[in-house]
Amino acid sequence: VSGRRFSRGAAGLAAVLVVAGVALAVVAARGGDPQTLQERVRSVASSLRCPVCQNLSVADSPSALAGQMRDTIATELEAGKSSGQIRQEFAAAYGEWILLAPPKRGLDLAVWLLPIALLLGGAVLVVLAVRRWTIGSAPDHPADPSVLDPADRRMLDRAIATYPGDGE
Amino acid sequence: VDGTTPPTVPHPSEMSPGRRRRNRWVAVAALLVSVVVLAALFGFGLSRDPTAIRSPLLGKAAPTFELRTLDGGQTVRLPDLRGQVVVVNFWASWCADCRVEHGALAAAWDRYRDQGVVLLGVPFQDRSSASMAYVDTYGGDWPQLTDPGERTALAYGVYGVPETFVIGPDGRVAAKRVGAVSYEWVTDQVERLLPKDGR
Repeated sequence: VSGRRFSRGAAGLAAVLVVAGVALAVVAARGGDPQTLQERVRSVASSLRCPVCQNLSVADSPSALAGQMRDTIATELEAGKSSGQIRQEFAAAYGEWILLAPPKRGLDLAVWLLPIALLLGGAVLVVLAVRRWTIGSAPDHPADPSVLDPADRRMLDRAIATYPGDGE
Repeated sequence: VDGTTPPTVPHPSEMSPGRRRRNRWVAVAALLVSVVVLAALFGFGLSRDPTAIRSPLLGKAAPTFELRTLDGGQTVRLPDLRGQVVVVNFWASWCADCRVEHGALAAAWDRYRDQGVVLLGVPFQDRSSASMAYVDTYGGDWPQLTDPGERTALAYGVYGVPETFVIGPDGRVAAKRVGAVSYEWVTDQVERLLPKDGR
């Protein structure tokens, strides 16, 4: 396989991956708007860390404090506050630590960008490595004796001439 | 297969040995650097207490509240206490460390109650009857406030009891203590906030 043919294939694969990634991101971002109050409470609660647990969200924690927080979220949603406002209020009292997803700014941006950068870096490494392997194993010349270089031609002729058996 | 196109990337076997060796060193160095960076990050994370988080309220206006006393007789509004040093202690009758600090709070209350210092107790996740029984047992006549739905505790970012907040005369949170307070800690905080000429 020639380098050009291969890079065309890689570009196609990259395009497919990008489209799939964008589609996933769109679905994740829109992801079915919660309708009932219970669903909206769950949506906010699952984005907040339970303060008295180890790595549990307020939505998943059975602790009394998480229950109080869910009640508070419900009351505030009913009072017309947005999910973002409620999250901000909890962050103001407990610190940004309480947000399970760190804000997309400042140093916290690194946790959002680093995985993407690592993924892209890995993809580049794979493309380079695969390219190197396939070029190495691909025949450089077609199996046409006319393109044998003169030295090989002579060696082959000699071998045929001295081959024992039906050589006459 | 387009056999006439020569490969554009030289096969490793066609590279000079020097270049190959250099590439290998670059790869090893990149790997080492990433391992060291990751190890440093993990080490930093593990060396820190995940629960010791500085309260974002420090230096900010204290979340306001208007709460009834445990016996229902009175309502305490934080804005009414502007100009005074307010010590807000979240506690519970089931909390062992609260018993440890109770004496320190009582002593501080006795010392400062006539100097424009207000101590407020706010039971946290406790039955009113249990809180009142606790006060009967251990004493202390500073106001105890009911916090329906733990709304005030949540606004102060309380994780667990005991937690103590010291609010300055300007209405800002000056100090926060997680766990039992000592008499020295309370007096240090209060002395820093009390007007110097008012004593």
